[in-house]
Amino acid sequence: MPATQLREYEGLINRVSEIFTIADKLPYNMTDEEVEGVLHILPGDLEKTLRAFLSPRVRNNSVQFLKMIKAWLTGAREGQQHGKKVFLVPFNFPVEALYCFENAWPVTSEVLSTMGVAALEGQGERYWDYAMGLGLPDFACSANMIEVGSALTSIDFVPDAVISDCFGSCDINSKTHEFLARYMDIPLIFLEKPVDDTERGINQYYRYFNTMVEEIEEFLGERLDEQRMRDVIGLANQASELFWELWDLHKFSPCPVPNIFSLFTYGTRFVAWGTERAVEIMQSMVDTARERLENGSYPSEREMVRSMWSYTSYYFDMAGLFNWMEENGITHLGDGLNLVFPRIVDTTSRETMLKGLAEIARNMPMTRQMGASSMSVQWLDDIMYASKELNADCVIYCGHHSCKQTWSGASIVRSELMKRAKIPTLFLQGDSWIRRMTPMSVLQETINEFVNTIVKKRRTPAGTVG
Amino acid sequence: MVNTLQEQSTDIYTEYVRDWKEKGGKVLGYACIATPVEVIEAAGILPYRIKAFGHPDTELGDAYLARFNCRFCRSCLQLGLDGTYDFLDGLLETNGCDHLRGMFENWQHVIKHDFFHYLKVPHFVRDDSLDYFEEELALMCQAICEHFEVDINEQKLSQAIATYDDIQAKLKKLYELRERSDPAVSGAEVMRIICTGSSMRGEDFNALLDKILAEKAAAKLPASRARMILLGSATDEIDLVADMESQGAFIATDALCFGSRSFWSKSGESTEPVRLLAEKYLSNLFCPRMFAEYDKRREFILQTAERANVDGAVIVYNKFCDLHGVEAVSLRMDLEKNGIPVLVLEKDYGSKADSGRIKTRVQAFLERIGG
Amino acid sequence: MNFAGIDVGSLTAQAVVVNEDGIRAFKSIRVKPNPVDSAQAVVDMVLSEDSLSWKDIKFCVSTGYGRDKVQAKGLSQDNMSEISCHGLGAFWLCPEARTVIDIGGQDAKVIRIGTNGELADFVMNDKCAAGTGRFLEVQARTLGLSLEELGEIALGAERAVELSNRCSIFCETEVLHYMQAGNDKADIAAGVCRAMADRVAALVRRVGLDGEVTMTGGVAKNVGVRTELERIFSVRLVTYEVDSQIVGALGAALVAKRMGG
Repeated sequence: MPATQLREYEGLINRVSEIFTIADKLPYNMTDEEVEGVLHILPGDLEKTLRAFLSPRVRNNSVQFLKMIKAWLTGAREGQQHGKKVFLVPFNFPVEALYCFENAWPVTSEVLSTMGVAALEGQGERYWDYAMGLGLPDFACSANMIEVGSALTSIDFVPDAVISDCFGSCDINSKTHEFLARYMDIPLIFLEKPVDDTERGINQYYRYFNTMVEEIEEFLGERLDEQRMRDVIGLANQASELFWELWDLHKFSPCPVPNIFSLFTYGTRFVAWGTERAVEIMQSMVDTARERLENGSYPSEREMVRSMWSYTSYYFDMAGLFNWMEENGITHLGDGLNLVFPRIVDTTSRETMLKGLAEIARNMPMTRQMGASSMSVQWLDDIMYASKELNADCVIYCGHHSCKQTWSGASIVRSELMKRAKIPTLFLQGDSWIRRMTPMSVLQETINEFVNTIVKKRRTPAGTVG
Repeated sequence: MVNTLQEQSTDIYTEYVRDWKEKGGKVLGYACIATPVEVIEAAGILPYRIKAFGHPDTELGDAYLARFNCRFCRSCLQLGLDGTYDFLDGLLETNGCDHLRGMFENWQHVIKHDFFHYLKVPHFVRDDSLDYFEEELALMCQAICEHFEVDINEQKLSQAIATYDDIQAKLKKLYELRERSDPAVSGAEVMRIICTGSSMRGEDFNALLDKILAEKAAAKLPASRARMILLGSATDEIDLVADMESQGAFIATDALCFGSRSFWSKSGESTEPVRLLAEKYLSNLFCPRMFAEYDKRREFILQTAERANVDGAVIVYNKFCDLHGVEAVSLRMDLEKNGIPVLVLEKDYGSKADSGRIKTRVQAFLERIGG
Repeated sequence: MNFAGIDVGSLTAQAVVVNEDGIRAFKSIRVKPNPVDSAQAVVDMVLSEDSLSWKDIKFCVSTGYGRDKVQAKGLSQDNMSEISCHGLGAFWLCPEARTVIDIGGQDAKVIRIGTNGELADFVMNDKCAAGTGRFLEVQARTLGLSLEELGEIALGAERAVELSNRCSIFCETEVLHYMQAGNDKADIAAGVCRAMADRVAALVRRVGLDGEVTMTGGVAKNVGVRTELERIFSVRLVTYEVDSQIVGALGAALVAKRMGG
């Protein structure tokens, strides 16, 4: 007798894709009454997520983002039916590298899990339960385990291959994808980041990257076409320029960039970079932020605190985090996954483009920090840079329990941030994707206390950092 | 000498090491079986494998690493920070796993050893990764030579390689004594011996092994309920093995980090010593950190289990050990497919409270397999 | 001929005497600090209440906490894991059972047994309070209910509240929140039972459900948790007449009968 009842239409990818059909049907410029009407017919967990997304100040951007997710999932399912090969990739893989191929499509593991958490009744926990039922450890990362659990049920959409580029930067991510490829009996293509930031180490990485590209070409039976590469990377370059525009807009106080745009930015980066949709979404976010800057609008009476999150955020209650924060005057300037530092790639030739892609891959979040020869040094550098650039008053470390590398360096980063930049850090503890560990109410309480006791005192009456 | 060394085998700063230091000898700490100790040996330095022997207190370690980090690493860090490891003249980091990397970073951040070198080990085996690792070994040699003002020439390196080849052969003989149908040496004793050896110069461990083999040749252990292969995380908890054996689960063989994985399959073909070491230490590095090499590990484990004629397998992994925790699932399935029943235990390293829990499960497992 | 089984748990100790006709006598007491003292006390009581003496017992097996110490003191001739004993005891009571869910005061186990009651597989949680009797105790106390009332009241729920958290402490906060919000006690009680069953279900999945299912241990008496487990796995738990807390000691006594008979 199966210990978890599964219905044939289930599976993370299949079900989320179906549910996002609702999002795809949503029009732009919905009124509050129309939104309430839609929310009224939705099941509890999905209703909560969409309530956060369809908040008036981000409504159109959210609708656009949700449509992009739907298109991405449809691209995978329909693409496979028409002969494309679908690759399961981790978030730190630059998806534009796959869009450069005519016959490839990326499906990003952690974004899938996050969308499952956002859209599914029960927030995808049933898939996590399934993974645990197989004996996988409960300290494994839920960002992967939700997707893994679904893949293990054998009723979900099955990708054609797995690419893992976490060798060197994240053990659990690498191990999970290795396991998954074997369990699903599909090829594993990998890319190692040598924990070596010398020129030698960088050149070694380029070698590995080029080998990986050759393996993908062989698997697809398709050689990269230079013009297609130019088109795709051209779009990625446009999105990257917009990323920096949005980054710069964060510097204003009160911050005109809505908190949830942090999620939309990296959500777009991890699934759609290199496509027109990514450019459109980034442009809309820039437009919204500019408009808010012109209007001087901010969700709360005043901006009390500007926080930089040093690694992930919490995704099981988007309203409870992103919306609640800004309604209480706490700006979310971005988190570790926003440390994308996108580069503009020289599109002159195949060689310059491959080198550019390799550079981008090497500097993707987590690869760059946790794949460095000193995790704490690189992470500290990046957080300090971001905090100073964006005038953060404080740093919040989400404390996702299964992030072993960041947990192992977090103490050093916290003490050095204080020593060098007088920036205090709050340590939270929880599971970014699963509510079972630490409830949002406890996280809010802790953030509130930190903000009201530590951070506010540091601000001068004029509202600048002391 | 054998008994004395055995008695000391759960000390960190043993009399042997103290002796060595008093004679002006240097000691380099390392943590991972991917570290070619022959290089350290050739430099005339004592290669000391960092251990904690289940040290339970992690107060200092917890101030830097988190409670979500492996407690083996926290215990080792504890001993690094509380002065126990002050006898070390330097540290050799390897990127064994994320927890170990964190341990080394915090250790060096606080203690600031004059010599701290990072040996970067690839996670897969291919010509390009072997080439890179060979360069890494050359850099490691150079760093040691420069800092300790020694010369590691080809001859010394070849000599050290020969010594450790000898050790490998003798350890295999030791395993024969353990794996045979009337075993002469227990699992706990073998772990004790390997731990002892990991705190000694190779030439001395080599000589010690001769004495141990002579001593054990005629030994005979009482009968057990069942023969097991022990697999899993880095553990130097000799008591853990002894507890299992006290229930009647004879640990006839293992594929442990402080066990056969540290020496069994090291081999290479190159005639050039540095390249040879790269091959020895990377090509058959049977650790779950080698993400694309599961098939080789599985075969090694199945062959080891068959050779020792085991009745069952016990997989023990430390809480928060991602590498072994995930690998345990695949191993369990493959072992059971091959007719070997499996007990999987998640353990909190260094926790005495776990002793009772482990014994209950081992006993139940023995009852299950009819032992 | 009489055979005895002693089971010393974390909160209670049990002794069972069996003979050719079945269960002759049984006793359950609160434990003393020392397991050997607990074993001595419970056996003395079961013997005296049935007018038996030690010499009437041909063979005795101990199980549970300190089972080897109990044996070392001469109170039993052999010891066996509580896992096997619960499996055997459950099998004797329900020969059709193949999966046994045992939830005690401070631990929980799921046992799969074979066609002769032999142990086929098992998984145990003895570290975390969630999914053990302790979890129910804490939540019942918060609700101002006894453990018995908790299960009974839960059956009258219209709509169980959701306790999303895995940790007993955070769950307690959630229960308080629901009470303050005015939710019906029955609905909250049902939510507690459901949360408990969810945690146990996680263990069950590790071993896999096979054939008929039964429960042993103190929590087997909680009708709310039983109902939830039946719902989650679409099964009907096999019931038996004997006190569910003595199943471990019963299994030990049966082993004693096999070894000494």
